[in-house]
Amino acid sequence: MQVTRRKFIKISGATAAGLAVSSLGFSLKDARAHTQMLKTKYAKETTTICCYCAVGCGAIVHTSKKGDGRVINIEGDPDHVINRGSLCSKGAALSQLTENENRLTEPMYRAPYSKEWKTVSWDWALGKIAKRVKATRDKAFTLKNAKGQVVNRVTNIVSVGSSAMDNEECWTYQALMRSLGLVYLEHQARI
Amino acid sequence: MSKSFFIDTTLCTACRACQVACKQWHDLPAEKTTNRGSFQNPADLSFETYKLVRFNEQVIDGKLNWLFFPDQCRHCYEAPCLEVADDPTAIFKDPATGAVIFTANTKNLDADEIIDSCPYNIPRKAKDGTLAKCDMCLDRVQNGQVPACVKTCPTGAMHFGESDEMLSLAKQRLAQVKGKFPKATLLDSDFVQTIYLTAHDPELYSKYAIASVTNKGIIAPMLTRQEALQKMFKPFIAAAKELV
Amino acid sequence: MGSNAAENHPISFKYVTEAQQNGAKMINVDPRFTRTSTRADIYASLRSGTDIAVLGGMIKYILENKLYNKEYVSAYTNAGFLVNKKFKFDDGKFSGFDAEKRKYDKSTWGFQLDKNKVPKIDRTLKKRNSVFSLLKKHYKKYDTKIVSKITGTSEKDLIEIYKTYAATGARGKAGTIMYAMGWTQHTVGVQNIRCMAMIQLLLGNMGVAGGGVNALRGESNVQGSTDQCLLWHILPGYLKIPKASNTDLTAYNNKCTPKSNDPLSANWWANTPKYSVSLLKSYFGEKAQKSNDFGYSWLPKVDDGKDYSWFTIFDNMYRGDVEGLFAWGMNPACSGANSLKTRKAMENLDWMVNVNLFDNETGSFWKGPGVTPSKVKTEVFMLPACVSVEKEGSITNSGRWMQWRYQGPKPLGNSLSDGDIIIKLGNELKKAYAKDGAFPEPIRNLKWDYLTHDEYDPHKVAKEINGYFTKDVTVKGKLCKKGTLVPSFAWLQADGSTSSANWLYCNSYTEKGNMSARRSKKDAENKIGLYPEFAWCWPVNRRIIYNRASVDAQGIPWDKKDWVVKFAGKQENGKYVSKKWLGDVPDGGWYPLENPDGTQRKDAKYAFIMRKHGHAQIFGPGRADGPFPAHYEPIETPVAKNLLYPKQLQNPVAVTYSTDSDKYAKSTSKYKIVCSTYRVSEHWQTGLMTRPQEWLMEMQPQVFVEMSEELAKQKGIKNGERVVVESIRAELECTAIVTKRFKPFKIDGKIVHQVGVPWHFGWRWPDSSKDASVKEDSANLLTPSAGDPNTRIPETKAFLVNVRKM
Repeated sequence: MQVTRRKFIKISGATAAGLAVSSLGFSLKDARAHTQMLKTKYAKETTTICCYCAVGCGAIVHTSKKGDGRVINIEGDPDHVINRGSLCSKGAALSQLTENENRLTEPMYRAPYSKEWKTVSWDWALGKIAKRVKATRDKAFTLKNAKGQVVNRVTNIVSVGSSAMDNEECWTYQALMRSLGLVYLEHQARI
Repeated sequence: MSKSFFIDTTLCTACRACQVACKQWHDLPAEKTTNRGSFQNPADLSFETYKLVRFNEQVIDGKLNWLFFPDQCRHCYEAPCLEVADDPTAIFKDPATGAVIFTANTKNLDADEIIDSCPYNIPRKAKDGTLAKCDMCLDRVQNGQVPACVKTCPTGAMHFGESDEMLSLAKQRLAQVKGKFPKATLLDSDFVQTIYLTAHDPELYSKYAIASVTNKGIIAPMLTRQEALQKMFKPFIAAAKELV
Repeated sequence: MGSNAAENHPISFKYVTEAQQNGAKMINVDPRFTRTSTRADIYASLRSGTDIAVLGGMIKYILENKLYNKEYVSAYTNAGFLVNKKFKFDDGKFSGFDAEKRKYDKSTWGFQLDKNKVPKIDRTLKKRNSVFSLLKKHYKKYDTKIVSKITGTSEKDLIEIYKTYAATGARGKAGTIMYAMGWTQHTVGVQNIRCMAMIQLLLGNMGVAGGGVNALRGESNVQGSTDQCLLWHILPGYLKIPKASNTDLTAYNNKCTPKSNDPLSANWWANTPKYSVSLLKSYFGEKAQKSNDFGYSWLPKVDDGKDYSWFTIFDNMYRGDVEGLFAWGMNPACSGANSLKTRKAMENLDWMVNVNLFDNETGSFWKGPGVTPSKVKTEVFMLPACVSVEKEGSITNSGRWMQWRYQGPKPLGNSLSDGDIIIKLGNELKKAYAKDGAFPEPIRNLKWDYLTHDEYDPHKVAKEINGYFTKDVTVKGKLCKKGTLVPSFAWLQADGSTSSANWLYCNSYTEKGNMSARRSKKDAENKIGLYPEFAWCWPVNRRIIYNRASVDAQGIPWDKKDWVVKFAGKQENGKYVSKKWLGDVPDGGWYPLENPDGTQRKDAKYAFIMRKHGHAQIFGPGRADGPFPAHYEPIETPVAKNLLYPKQLQNPVAVTYSTDSDKYAKSTSKYKIVCSTYRVSEHWQTGLMTRPQEWLMEMQPQVFVEMSEELAKQKGIKNGERVVVESIRAELECTAIVTKRFKPFKIDGKIVHQVGVPWHFGWRWPDSSKDASVKEDSANLLTPSAGDPNTRIPETKAFLVNVRKM
């Protein structure tokens, strides 16, 4: 087996048993004498704020600059004045939230009375949603309430969510929903 | 110069960030577990779990305590596992840090014999007999970083640094907590590079919190713990002190 | 109390342990001994739902032992205000109760006003109708004996807690509270928190370093999403939602702008019109003009007196009145109380849009336990959102810090950021309404220019949130050019010359740059950990709100060592002659109330600038359920009688619902065990962002019920076996954790048991469709649709269950 130095490091970082020194073709002397290279050495570093609770801890994201460009490691940001490098168990698992085979990667559609999901395109899904919104909204749009006061609202469409969004997304979202006339607009803060 | 951990269990809240950070850095898979009526999970250390927070509910002097013990390899100054293995391609001590490192060549050892040799019951074997345990995040340490578990600890329970500094920090903390916890103690601190501070009798935290006289194989049952340790480490203590 | 910080906000606990090492004492009161309790200097248990009894007892203790900060209470709170003589509290009800409507007429809860309509104040706090006198009277009954009978907490523990905490009322001392859903999720949720706020005011702990009433918020951006007002009753920046009776912008501004004739009251909300007009300018841009009321009529209006909250949404849906649902970054099938009702309600929908990282119990409700897909008509669109590290934008933490985060990897697969999905959906909707449609103006006129290179640009929105000058104007003697960013909300105008999508965030993204992205670790001169140049904090980077209450009337800090602000203006002949504050951004830069020679100043302002009358409210007349907190039993209570108010068992205005899915158990039913839902460190919310992760599932793989050894023995339950927890609404299979950490309570001589279930689980992860032995589901199947009358937050922390062997 031809093993490059880089591959060797990757394997040593990834195998549970640690260094398979002799079988990799390095002498033990080499393995002990040379400093191992960090798996994050050539990664892109970006800062983030943890997406779980609201303490607001900083973390550093190491993203591979090569190949698939995915996350190699996420750990606490030592220069962040709140957490000073530390993270809880959820924060420490952030990389697994990102690199997770269970994630949704395509829009999906479930037709009425169907037993299954069907993968669809973004254009198809968003076009269809806009059509549904328009049909539902327009058939019951309320210009005036029972007292005759102008209300310009929709009550048969409702929205819940989301504190999982960024501030800018939250603002944009409520603006869009309120432009449609939604009054039933709620999110996690209510529960 | 060698490196040591200092684990102050009086500050541990069992958030288990260390347990996850260890898996994250080492790319270790999760085990399939069930709830067995305890928060402690996985049930024990394993080939895929180098770090495990042990949970114990103990009533001490009429007061309920929930004791937490982030268990891991002690990186003994003179490690019995290494001596028993007698194969530096399988188990060696990193000269710079004193980290006891298991390689894939542990597959060729008698795994049970190595496990039995450990007074702290740490090494675990894979199906093929390969052994694994905490490697002190040697790659991180060699690059000037602290081990992943220490880095992530929120409450200041986990520390890492030069062995002499860790020992003096441990002694300092011991003195600080003595008033509140008269039975507080440092566990085997002269012999290991993972120094624990416990508030209560160490055996309430974990059966193997300290090197036990009853631990099979290594220590004659008649000896006191201290004598046993002396015997266990005798040939190496002088060398170890030099390292410090 | 009301939180379990070590488990649910572990990093906040870093500072608790640090404080303890500096000599602080930590008190933990919780029905269950938690990981937080292990580090407490004092731990005591209480029966879920009895916090006001404990806190009311503390108020009595503080008052009777004169442990309050009299100067603070007199100067900064409404303790000296004289209350309407008709105000009463009898038999557990406040004056004005309408039994038929189950509502209070609050007209007798007001203050006595002088001829200028300014409240009459007795700063000596002695008059019979003063708030302070009424407070003493209200909590007179809350002695430790009766409190102990209600809560199950021993009198000895109560006294130790009271003594220890009340000691923080001394000058230079501070005490703080970390609370979370353990306080909010009750039919007395708001009053739980008010009660603690009152204690903090009595002890002079508001506005000071190490003080405050701290909500440990559960979601990374639940503060920000609340600030941006994804809630039915408020518009961005906590502006009130327009009501049908607010027929035009003038009517709205008049109704929503509080007025004070007291020259010493800053009454900051008097600026409301500047903020509402600037918001409309952000919504509708150039289309919002003075001639069209800045597009006010394009905003939807709610009916006066009607509720539009979460519970009501799903109640309407259950009744068949809702056709379309957006469940965006949220999993209501597990997160709302009484989940079976929520899940059944969804079957009435024509369509649902579900945006999430993972498939979930909401989007896939049509194939959930007990549901036959071929009978469910609902069309579902499941849209994949990307993870936070795959996009750029800001979030706001519990401490109101707005922090910017950056993109690491690109979104996985074909997932998109929420921002991109929203913008693309908006584009489709604008297209759909370009030619026709009902009332299309707001959709067509919505300002929607947040793209850069065809992608959603968070910087553009962040700048819009901050706000722009929309024309060249001279403000405060300075020429402000059209198109430049507004420096702070003090510059906002009501004439349309400024936009600001959220006035509270005005100052966050200015011509100096993106303030939330700052990273300086330099502390302020008071060295109390404010870090003013790290990220950004609303309002105007003020790190501690109400900080003018941290100084006395002359501007001198109560705490000389750990001060927040202090007045440093020049003085001549015993008078201040120039204005200067040091430390944090002060709550308004006015002069202190008094000169060094003790004379009152006429150009000063009271400390609590957001209150109409400038004073913090020990008497809170705005609440739906009374101006003083009173102990009421939960809607589902194990006791038959409220020992404090024998004629009033529960909150008389608590919210309940009336469909066939809304059932409530009585103390005489077979459900006699108190149950509380809670969180564990290893999971988060409904578990949707933790259950698909094997490292976290490894540590907490299954839903469990924790119970005492005594209860387990009585029920014949062994540790680790699967059992059934049943409420009047549903059953849930759980693993039993039999523990010493729960102890039976002795309530008025009788044994009451309590159990607890974490609410992080659901049937989708782990995947029960792949393995029939997997039977995990949400603890919210058990919880009641009962809510706080102010917020309608559900009572999921105290309800009744039974536990039995399988």
